[in-house]
Amino acid sequence: MVKAVKGTIVKCDPAVKQVIISLDKKEKVIIEDLDENHLLIDTSRVDYIKKEVEKLLEENTYKSELDKAPN
Amino acid sequence: MSPNGIVDYSSIKLKNHHASRPLWINPGNGHIILEAFSPFAEKAQDFLITISEPVSRPSLIHEYKMTPYSLYAAVSVGLETEAIIDTEIPDSVIEMIRECTISYGKVKLLLKQNRYFVESSHPEVLQMLLQDPAIAEARINTDGAAQDAFITNKAPTDKGLVIPGKNDTTADADNNAKGNNAQDDELLFNTVVAIDKEDEEDEEDEVHSFEIRSEKFENVKKRCNELNYPMLEEYDFRNDASLAPLEIDLKPITVIRPYQEKCLSKMFGNGRARSGIIVLPCGAGKTLVGITAACTIKKSCLVLCTSAVSVMQWKQQFLQWSNIKESQISVFTSDQKEKFIGQSGIVISTYSMVANTRTRSYEASKMMDFITGREWGFILLDEVHVVPANMFRRVVTTIAAHTKLGLTATLVREDDKIQDLNFLIGPKLYEANWMDLASKGHIANVQCAEVWCDMTPEFYAEYLKASSRKRMLLYAMNPNKLQACQFLIQYHEERGDKVIVFSDNVYALEKYARLLGVPFIHGKTKPPERMYILSKFQHDSATNTIFLSKVGDTSIDLPEATCLIQISSHYGSRRQEAQRLGRILRAKRRNDEGFNAFFYSLVSRDTQEMFYSTKRQQFLIDQGYAFKVITKLEGMEKAPNLVYRDHEEQMKLLGEVLVANDNAADLDNDIEANADDLPGTVTSRNFNSQAKGIVRRTTNMKSLSGADHMAYFEGTGGHGRPSGSTPRKKAPAKEHHPLFKRQWMKK
Repeated sequence: MVKAVKGTIVKCDPAVKQVIISLDKKEKVIIEDLDENHLLIDTSRVDYIKKEVEKLLEENTYKSELDKAPN
Repeated sequence: MSPNGIVDYSSIKLKNHHASRPLWINPGNGHIILEAFSPFAEKAQDFLITISEPVSRPSLIHEYKMTPYSLYAAVSVGLETEAIIDTEIPDSVIEMIRECTISYGKVKLLLKQNRYFVESSHPEVLQMLLQDPAIAEARINTDGAAQDAFITNKAPTDKGLVIPGKNDTTADADNNAKGNNAQDDELLFNTVVAIDKEDEEDEEDEVHSFEIRSEKFENVKKRCNELNYPMLEEYDFRNDASLAPLEIDLKPITVIRPYQEKCLSKMFGNGRARSGIIVLPCGAGKTLVGITAACTIKKSCLVLCTSAVSVMQWKQQFLQWSNIKESQISVFTSDQKEKFIGQSGIVISTYSMVANTRTRSYEASKMMDFITGREWGFILLDEVHVVPANMFRRVVTTIAAHTKLGLTATLVREDDKIQDLNFLIGPKLYEANWMDLASKGHIANVQCAEVWCDMTPEFYAEYLKASSRKRMLLYAMNPNKLQACQFLIQYHEERGDKVIVFSDNVYALEKYARLLGVPFIHGKTKPPERMYILSKFQHDSATNTIFLSKVGDTSIDLPEATCLIQISSHYGSRRQEAQRLGRILRAKRRNDEGFNAFFYSLVSRDTQEMFYSTKRQQFLIDQGYAFKVITKLEGMEKAPNLVYRDHEEQMKLLGEVLVANDNAADLDNDIEANADDLPGTVTSRNFNSQAKGIVRRTTNMKSLSGADHMAYFEGTGGHGRPSGSTPRKKAPAKEHHPLFKRQWMKK
């Protein structure tokens, strides 16, 4: 019996690829590691990955006091 | 105001002649925006500098902020309220200016024979101040006098006061030269900084005062500021006969640069010495400003600096620029304790020597008695921004000085202690415009660049897994960064530049330097070797690059260097960034046609370093420096013999990094603290807490294992506590049971 999983190809730079791989360790998301810049991931997890990658990269961005002030 | 903080001011009408008015005042917060490209900007700038503090000065648009302190400073140099207020400025701003300036100058803080007095010509103001419990408490009631009786004196008249060097006909050639400068300055600024002598003469003849406890004077000062009656601290050094004069003058060959003259004219604006802080970039001659100020006051002088090395530098500078006799300069450090001969002289010491509260050696305590037992005309505080506030307080309260002058290059701290300096020393008197100095050739032109290096996939994978301390090592050792560093060194050596590479991380420093075959200096390098390497760098044309750890941040002076590469740094310390830049600002070749110095920061992409790097640059950006971002170094792919080209080598490096002791990531074990050095010469580490709610601390193995008189303490909560957090101090011993207590007491 063949089981089909819907996949999405992600094109990314090597660093982001590493982020996704590390996410994969917590929770399976990668279907196939294609090459340096491409991954095939579970389509249903795309939003989750987007969010996590964003969060991580956000951590490394400095915001000036002015940008923070409105809160 | 809309919820996101944006205010719509489009309803405000443009003024008449708006084309010739290059500035705009924000009615909301009093910030002033100046179009620095306008032909009128330069004139406006001189005025703005007098009444406000620069916030940010990039090349085209400048931002200034009016604060009570800056307004006080403006009033104290003789500007009147009405002169500041123009007709067409927002009401809210006018109100603030009036509020701040109207009460200024009514109350004075006087130091007479080592006792502090609050003086005013308006007794009702003193009465009002004494209503405040904090001030009343600090008051000393002499001879059981009635509560409301004040000591009444004749006011000193200011007639016949001589402005420094200006009308002094008997002065020597040097003084005349200085005087001429002062006059030029006067011409330039008389519209702005008019000296209002008549006003002083109109003062009533009677002054009233009460004495306060010297240990409380800071509280009183603070209270007065809060009550909107800031105390004026001025020292009429020309008419002070109680302090023995000091024979000191600048040598005739010493020439002061125009901006140095400008700072001093602010300090001695009305013929009296005013306490405050002068901010000049590194390499712009802060020391000379301090020495000239000492030469103007001509009284005993105490110089405090941050380390024993700079003590010696100050002494040498005093001898170089002024005609003071060597016997009149004394040095007070843990190794040397000298007193000067005669009635007056100069003592140079460190903050920690003077503020030390532990028991001292016999000699040191004798020396301290000598220092605290006398009155000082002038106290010079070098690098004021690094001194912890409590240490400062101790210094300021134990030593009786008439004038305090703070010198610094970077009036920023990663904690919020900068405000304290305002009432501990005084307002900011002058802040130089870096870009201006650079364009006039006083400091070098610098091209700043941030080079982004991709992390290699393997390093990044480890980075994501690693603890925060290991992460630091991983992004410092990123092979791409190594290559970029090597490439830049090769490129600049070929151009004939002398390159300094900075790394806070000693492990990375050694690794890089060994790999590239370049000499390096860090905290453990022995002095003879250090001297050897430095002189080789200075004189040997074959040695064009050296690696320095943060020992090189301040105390090493290398005017040969023209290019600077930074591979690892102290988190987000803005001060370190500015200080490192200062290493190349005094480049010897700065006056060559089209000369540029280079400042590179190598940053590993997608890591914490990006965050820190941007934060570090904020100060320099405010000074008008622009950082270019380089994502790819042109020609690096083709460059021959770069290290770590193949994957296998990179993996080997990764292995080494991973097995490296955790201590290798530590930044602080590099410099062993000298008894004289300030522990705080490195800015506080937990500045990050504000931004992200995470406090990061680093400790060394010794303290983790309990060798620092601390017990290791395992946190019980399973979640949230990072493994690298500090061991807590053992909880204070509980109250003993009465039974044992007795026994305890007996022992």
